[in-house]
Amino acid sequence: MTQMGFYFDQTACINCYTCVVACKDWHDVPAGPASLIRVSTIEKGKCPEVSIHPMVNLCYHCGKPACVSTCPMGAITKREEDGIVVVDREMCQGKDNCSLCKDACPYDAPQFGAEENAKMQKCDFCFDRLAEGKKPACVDACLMRALDAGPIEDLRAKNGDIRETEGFVYGDECMPSIVFKPKKDTKRLIVQKVVVAPPTS
Amino acid sequence: MNRTSNAENVIMTTCHDHCCSVCLLKLHVRNGIITKVETDDGPEPQNRACARGRAYRQYVYHPDRLMYPLRRTGRRGEGKFERISWDEAMDTVASEIKRVKDTYGAASNILLCSCGDVGWLHNGGLIDRVLVHAGGYTGVLGNVSCEATWYASMAHYGTDNLVTGNTRDSLLKSKLIILWGWNPVVTKGYGNTHYYLSLVKKANIRVIAVDPRYTPTAQLLADQWIPIRPGTDTALLIAMAYVIITENLEDQGFLDKYTIGFNKFKTYVLGKEDGLPKTPAWAENIAGVPPDTTVNLARLYATSKPAALMDGWSVGRTAYGEQFHRAAATLSAMTGNVGIPGGSAGVGATSEVNPILDMGGYVSARMSGGDNPVHRAAPLRKDSLWAGVFYKKKMAGGDIGSQLFYSGGPTTAYLNRVCVADAILKGRAGGYPADYKLLYMVTINWLNQYANTNKIKEALRKLEFVVAQEQFMTPTAKFADIVFPTNTIVERNDVTWGALEPFYGYMNKAIASLGESKSQFEIAAGLAAKMGFSDFSDKTEEEWLRQIIAGCKDIPNYDAFKRAGIHRLVDSKPYVAFEEQIQGGKPFPTPSGKIEIYSQTLADLAEPGLPPIPKYIETWESIKDPLAKKYPLQLISTHSWRRTHSKFDNIPWLRELEVQAVVINPADALARGIKDGDMVRVFNDRGRMIIAARVTERIMPGVVEISEGAKYDPDVNGIDQGGCPNVLTKDIPSPGGGFCGNTALVQVEKAQRGHK
Repeated sequence: MTQMGFYFDQTACINCYTCVVACKDWHDVPAGPASLIRVSTIEKGKCPEVSIHPMVNLCYHCGKPACVSTCPMGAITKREEDGIVVVDREMCQGKDNCSLCKDACPYDAPQFGAEENAKMQKCDFCFDRLAEGKKPACVDACLMRALDAGPIEDLRAKNGDIRETEGFVYGDECMPSIVFKPKKDTKRLIVQKVVVAPPTS
Repeated sequence: MNRTSNAENVIMTTCHDHCCSVCLLKLHVRNGIITKVETDDGPEPQNRACARGRAYRQYVYHPDRLMYPLRRTGRRGEGKFERISWDEAMDTVASEIKRVKDTYGAASNILLCSCGDVGWLHNGGLIDRVLVHAGGYTGVLGNVSCEATWYASMAHYGTDNLVTGNTRDSLLKSKLIILWGWNPVVTKGYGNTHYYLSLVKKANIRVIAVDPRYTPTAQLLADQWIPIRPGTDTALLIAMAYVIITENLEDQGFLDKYTIGFNKFKTYVLGKEDGLPKTPAWAENIAGVPPDTTVNLARLYATSKPAALMDGWSVGRTAYGEQFHRAAATLSAMTGNVGIPGGSAGVGATSEVNPILDMGGYVSARMSGGDNPVHRAAPLRKDSLWAGVFYKKKMAGGDIGSQLFYSGGPTTAYLNRVCVADAILKGRAGGYPADYKLLYMVTINWLNQYANTNKIKEALRKLEFVVAQEQFMTPTAKFADIVFPTNTIVERNDVTWGALEPFYGYMNKAIASLGESKSQFEIAAGLAAKMGFSDFSDKTEEEWLRQIIAGCKDIPNYDAFKRAGIHRLVDSKPYVAFEEQIQGGKPFPTPSGKIEIYSQTLADLAEPGLPPIPKYIETWESIKDPLAKKYPLQLISTHSWRRTHSKFDNIPWLRELEVQAVVINPADALARGIKDGDMVRVFNDRGRMIIAARVTERIMPGVVEISEGAKYDPDVNGIDQGGCPNVLTKDIPSPGGGFCGNTALVQVEKAQRGHK
């Protein structure tokens, strides 16, 4: 079985949100609490020795998705042909009645809108675009070409099999389908004393 | 489930926003409605649109779009309007323009335009044409973004256009890139910047960031961040020159062959002129950069050839910012980095005019009004205080980027853009050439985006009549007597150019105009008819565009261009500014034919604020100003991912991405008892605001940042709730004419809950 997955180059991401907006446009997700892809940053160090690690969060279409087995309605399924995890929103009981998938997923992939008894929605790997030979909307949107998507074995062959990075823990129990180019702390070219001016008040 | 059904048309078009990059948009249109926006997925280099372009659907269909002409019914700024017909709106505006001219003279009518949603056809030049026909008007000179670079380029290189930047592919040849106040991953700024920076990243080129902030560009590329106090950059550059000179690292062959006046600069740097050697210790006292860092930076820069010193426009937007760009250009010459791939000529790191394309059609077919009687009647500007002598050159050379707004010659009738509110408030009594009564604004959110919002409000209240052509009820439009609703770039046809890239963009009409909104061409034509200007245009929109494109020899087929959305030159070579002077032996267009590190023209002006060699001059409102006791923090206003200036501020998909906040270092926050997310007050004598605090190490202590473009939203006490930094900025231009939005002292305090 093919397993689709993502590649994220943490060194190239600028957290510009273009993937987020492109995803919302493609999937018609209104502004609000639901976003099928999110970006964030982790800040470390003190001025001027600062480093920023960006991270992209979406559904990693796990090899053993915790959400699928937890859904009492059987609304979440993993596609046989490509391992994409999809939800049938018609079958979902809504967030007022159930949040088992949200609680089960360590990566916050199940998302709920602001509407009353919102049904779960999540990244579906843009399988409609896939069928047209396109990559997911987020990948085609990325200004820095930091994202890629495809069969995870191909991505591993091309980019290496690095499964963890700053801001991401690989869960053995669910096997998320993503590999990384991790960002290391920056090197220093020239001697610089760490000078922090006294606070002004 | 097929979201791209066959019933959909896909229309290729481009953005044209005020980032001045032009990116491809593929609009999916079904039954006359845009359903999705995709971007370039062709061969690299793809011109991928950013979050702003991808959110265009919410921009076009925003419920607050202005659909009908409006007449003000409440007080100015109150926001109460009633719907009226186009006929009545245009009658009113036409008769007011005539009344003001007949009562006070044509110079009492001011036209103020900007570039938020314009192209080669649809822009403020159309209203210029109408007003010139009606007897003229007072225009404005100056460029809010980068006037200091214009000035420095004209002084140093003798250019009549801002063509000092190399195409971005040049960066791939650099051994060292210095991001000096330059943050192009957010600003985009002229060209397919992200694509080339992604290649810079892969090429593992050494990059250093000199900036009060650790910017997203620094996050992406920089091996090191050197924080620097705003307004002190010139001191650090000059101290680097000191190191290079005293260690004999300068490229003397280059200086001898291509420059004049280096010895005079050297005399100043070494302190032989004023007894003050400009050592790294001298600079530390000003800029806060440790001397060892300066020495090492100077050595690294002087020994890494080619090296690109990318001196961003933001630093030019400080007081005496023109000195910064001239100093950067001087260092570029000292290290022999001008005119070579991988180097940089300095002066703003970009070109405002595309040096690659044939712009002939744009110049010949543009619809500006020609000679403006008001400007022509006034004496030529001979003073220096805002770059008079250089404007003459700018005019004579034909400034493509700004020509539309500068008809009639560089005379004293013009107002500096920064001074328009002051001119309206003071008029002749304040030394201005006229008393101003009517203001006509085209796509400009003046009180939000120009220095000293509260003063601009006063000026808007003083005027007898105000017209705004807008897509939304902006804080500025709220002060208008009549608002003309303008359509957007997807509701009309227009063409544009690819900034610093070898392509033209066709902005296709994808849908019908919403409501009763009209294109700028339709508005100007309608107004012209009301004013008895029967031969305003003998062509349709389509005919104008065909004529413009016929004049651009690079485009063989108009219809194919229109379908493709982008016409790319296939065999375009990288552009390196001044390559023909350095490699080809052509003289520079300066009086001496050389790079003028010393400018005799400036010496003749004898203006202390504009020395003939680049010098460090302490800004007003520096941390050494006595005012710093009261207002100890330096404010900089920066650009946000989620806006292009004030455009897109109201777009839900973009608004939710980041909270508008004042960015403050933990040390400064701690001293004020402020935690991340707290509501705080930011204030000085010019204005006050309430805003959330974002506490982060990404900004140096002593400096706070508020991104520009957030919608000014005063409460009943006039305290801004929207986070518009211009309530705090000062409306005094730099001696070179530039906007000084990054020179302002403020204080920040924690706001008490429930007390605003």
